[in-house]
Amino acid sequence: MPEIKAGNIRKGMYILFKNQPFLVTKTDFMSPGKGSAFMRVKMRGVKSEATQEFTYKSTESVEQLDISSVEMQYLYEDGSVVVFMNPRDYDQVEVPRKLLEDKLDLLTPDVKVYIMFYDDEAIGASLPPKVTLEVVEAEEAVAGNTVGQARKEVKLETGLLVQAPLFVKKGDKLIIDTDSKTYVSRG
Amino acid sequence: MKNWQRAKSDANFRKQLLVRGQIVNAIRSFFKSEGFLEVETPLLVKHPGTEPYLEVFQTELRVAGQAPQPAFLLTSPELSMKKLLSAGFGSMFQICKSFRNEEGVSSFHNPEFTILEWYRVNADYTDIMDDFEKLMLHILRELGHTGSELTYQSKTYDLNAPWERISIARAFEKYAGVDEETLLSEEKLKSAAVAMGYNVTVDTSWEEVYNQILLNEIEPRLGVDGPTVLYDYPASQAALSRRKTDDSRFAERFEVYLAGLELGNAFTELTDPSEQRQRMENDLAERRQLGKTEYGLDEDFLAALGDMPPTGGIAVGVDRLVMLFADAPTLDETLFFPAKDLFDLSPEEV
Repeated sequence: MPEIKAGNIRKGMYILFKNQPFLVTKTDFMSPGKGSAFMRVKMRGVKSEATQEFTYKSTESVEQLDISSVEMQYLYEDGSVVVFMNPRDYDQVEVPRKLLEDKLDLLTPDVKVYIMFYDDEAIGASLPPKVTLEVVEAEEAVAGNTVGQARKEVKLETGLLVQAPLFVKKGDKLIIDTDSKTYVSRG
Repeated sequence: MKNWQRAKSDANFRKQLLVRGQIVNAIRSFFKSEGFLEVETPLLVKHPGTEPYLEVFQTELRVAGQAPQPAFLLTSPELSMKKLLSAGFGSMFQICKSFRNEEGVSSFHNPEFTILEWYRVNADYTDIMDDFEKLMLHILRELGHTGSELTYQSKTYDLNAPWERISIARAFEKYAGVDEETLLSEEKLKSAAVAMGYNVTVDTSWEEVYNQILLNEIEPRLGVDGPTVLYDYPASQAALSRRKTDDSRFAERFEVYLAGLELGNAFTELTDPSEQRQRMENDLAERRQLGKTEYGLDEDFLAALGDMPPTGGIAVGVDRLVMLFADAPTLDETLFFPAKDLFDLSPEEV
């Protein structure tokens, strides 16, 4: 298993902490009292889902998990799982819904998703930084309500609600930032 | 989206960015009412502070007809202000920019940040604790809050004085089960850390073990309901503070914690020029060893120190105060132009 220095741990990496696989959700550089450097890591257990915080010496070695990622196509949700298909060999894989909770309102069959595997088990998904989604509901812009905040709420094909400029209308394709789930531009 | 762009359409964010100006006004009105002098000292200096782990921004001063010489952006205005204290200007404060290079990306760091330093003459660190308590309540009132409660990220903190005060030795005992003797012994502290499950090797220093226990076992327990003053640091962590007269193993230094943030670092200032020279020379030697930028000692500062009155002083991160009072989850969200936006930094790519 590859080892990295704790100072190089980044959000989105998978690491081994007390012999359990964890997904890094946040990292913060620390230099307590102007002392040497440390890395405060917030992480979520891949299996237990428990969140954990630990501060490493930045020079300390940490085991990074061997994760393979495969490009997959979103098919459908089925109860507690989400089903994806490998477009090359048509293999289907089920990913527990709870691992995708914050991404479900960004998924369409057109979005390229990378499914991550650890020990042949799907443990999560990674989306491209931007996706294109169609507007399914948008109010007509109301005149006179444009001071400072020339935005309105629109609904996208996945059910996601975003703040968009007044000129956006139903049927438009919008580019959405998948990290912040906010409007970037018209597609 | 960059902050200045987000501010165009996000009314709440706009309001959040404007809290900074109100806080700076409140800080000024507090110190002026306390009779402090406001000073302005250089940001571009020849001799920055000697803290071994801080890295500086280096540039070059070129003057026609003279050899170019290295120049640095300061990491804190402390040395200049102490020269003014020794010149007899009395209690003083300053709000200015400071710069630190090679710090990682975090929710509460920016390479360029705003620092507040104040020095009270004929005083010690306990007077600075009192000042800090009054300052925070003053800011709260000036921002239009009634009462002493501050809500940050959906949690309420009581700023009323007196704040919780706990010594380092007591905190190690209470939260990590490490007694004073173990704390101060490299060998014993390392064994204790191994027993707690930490990764300790022959290369691990006392300072690393001490800080890792502090960060993992103690810090998360400080500033939970209101500010906590953590005081009396082991002498090796004294920096520019005076050792305690009744126990020279510890130094009169404190830090204030609130809501997971370290807000300030205070000392009863060291006024002994020979001890100060010794510490600074050790610092510079350590800088060399760590491969940090090298520069000389500020001899003016050392010469001035002998005339400095007994003084308590502190450096406070203004950006972090803004985070708290503006209820901003990250330091970047208190700045019009965080370095992240200017230099396209992202945690994944650094």
